[in-house]
Amino acid sequence: MSTTTRVPQPYWNPYIAGIGLGLVLLAAYVIMGRGLGASGAFTTLVSAGAGAIAPDHAAANPFYAEYLGDGTRNPLLDWLVFEMIGVFVGGYLSGALAGRIRVTTEKGPNITVARRLLFAFLGGGLMGIGAKLARGCTSGQGLTGGAVLNAGSWAFMLCVFGGAYALAYFVRRQWL
Amino acid sequence: MKNFWSTLTLNVRLGLVVGLLGLGALFIGNPSGTSGVTIDPQELARIVQTETDHVSVETLADWIIQGKADYRLIDLRSDTAFVQYHIPGAENVQLTALSGYGLLRNEKIILYSDGGIHSAQAWFLLKAREYRGVYLLLGGLEEWKEKILFPAVPANPTPDQAAAFEKRKQVSTFFGGMPLDGTRQEGEPAIAMPNPVLPAPQAAGAAPGGGPAKKKKEGC
Amino acid sequence: MIAPFYKYGLFGDFTSLIIAFLIGIGFGFFLERAGFGNARTLAAQFYFTDLRVFKVMFTAILTAMLGIFYLSWIGLLDLSLIYVSDTYLLPQIAGGLILGAGFVIGGYCPGTSAVSASTGRIDGAVYLLGMIAGLVVFAECFPLVESFYNATPMGRITLPELFQVPYGLLVFLIVIMAVGAFAGGSWVEKRMATRKGATHT
Repeated sequence: MSTTTRVPQPYWNPYIAGIGLGLVLLAAYVIMGRGLGASGAFTTLVSAGAGAIAPDHAAANPFYAEYLGDGTRNPLLDWLVFEMIGVFVGGYLSGALAGRIRVTTEKGPNITVARRLLFAFLGGGLMGIGAKLARGCTSGQGLTGGAVLNAGSWAFMLCVFGGAYALAYFVRRQWL
Repeated sequence: MKNFWSTLTLNVRLGLVVGLLGLGALFIGNPSGTSGVTIDPQELARIVQTETDHVSVETLADWIIQGKADYRLIDLRSDTAFVQYHIPGAENVQLTALSGYGLLRNEKIILYSDGGIHSAQAWFLLKAREYRGVYLLLGGLEEWKEKILFPAVPANPTPDQAAAFEKRKQVSTFFGGMPLDGTRQEGEPAIAMPNPVLPAPQAAGAAPGGGPAKKKKEGC
Repeated sequence: MIAPFYKYGLFGDFTSLIIAFLIGIGFGFFLERAGFGNARTLAAQFYFTDLRVFKVMFTAILTAMLGIFYLSWIGLLDLSLIYVSDTYLLPQIAGGLILGAGFVIGGYCPGTSAVSASTGRIDGAVYLLGMIAGLVVFAECFPLVESFYNATPMGRITLPELFQVPYGLLVFLIVIMAVGAFAGGSWVEKRMATRKGATHT
């Protein structure tokens, strides 16, 4: 029985999924004293890559240098990097169990695949820049900072929703 | 009541539960509480008896020489006494300011005063607030002066005593003290206390809020 | 107090990496369960047709927030050892706006793009590549933006400290706000559905 021929199951009740997510976040706080994160793992990856390709340049750049540490430890032995690997695995597991694994491009009916992928790339680029300015993304600042009432995180979250809603009309062709 | 509950949808039930929890939080106000003092007399008595909470002056001297930075050294005396001399790397905190100072419960904290009374009392205050890694410098500053800064040797030392004294002389010199090897004459002026800032390049002790320097930041 | 376990030395760095992996599995699992591996589901939030992004995110925040509050209250969790990142107000506002733009343009955020890529979505994978490109651009331009990056530092500050109100009061207000928004959101979704004359999953 192939997973691709299964009928995709409907998503869970959002509140139940949210409770599950919240319990995972709580577990992180109780066990590690820290919350979840995502953008940090990719930053470490980028910094490690920079360190491998151009070590002098990376050491001179304060941004890369911070993620590379003092050289005594492999920068990839990082909590967020291992967490992110888990995210890929967990996402796949859930998708496989629910018959939602499909090699496809998600897009609205009024746009081409190529255009959609271009927007995806641009959106990702903006996200990368925004996440670094804000010291985190919706997982790190939004969920994690939100749960401990971090003032900067709540300001950030307001702006994420604000920025997205403000631009939604202009990119509606992609989705609607 | 049971009938009412069963008529509700799952989402409404969840909403009610979370609303109640929120209401509870409103009444609790501050979860950490300012009192938060718990004492297990048996446990504390056991620690005192087995002396697991002590750090000897020799051990501390070793740590400073090695440049270890995984502890915080707290000097409980007045600030005038602190300025005159303090063990390198110490932070000056009065007893009353101790709880608000910013010491973390999982840090290694070593307390000292002139003798041992104030440090013992501070130890108890911190232990009552569930601080894990609190230690006393056995003998306090008096012991530090006697054993580390100004070590003495008996008049006719055995070979073992002489060898031990040689080692203590090196430690004493490191801290700017003066070994008492019998060359001082009677009636000479009292020995001045050395400069508490060590000439050695490595930073002695720990900076506030610091742990081992290589600790990675917790970002997201 | 025995929690956070790691900060009380119950286990070391190596174990913490294994725990990171396991927690990550849970994270990715529930993100996908919620439907966040699909850009259209995520973007629907900003067109009011499906408000699960808000519902899932804030339910998670409520759950963890209440959990932390109550575990601290019963004396199990040491709040002073919980990591709270420093606030830099202006860069975080700017970053939030840019991230929001990236969210609605690209259709994902870093965590959800990973889940999307792992369930086969090409746009998720492309989004990840775009994010890496954005990170490289930021890193290379870092000396230029460094002063803005470090602007308006406020240190470690929580909302109760900022507004000088009790922690529990703010927890209560956030619960009320979120539950109200959930109810309001469901109403908006129904209105949008009947307006479109279409049913949605």
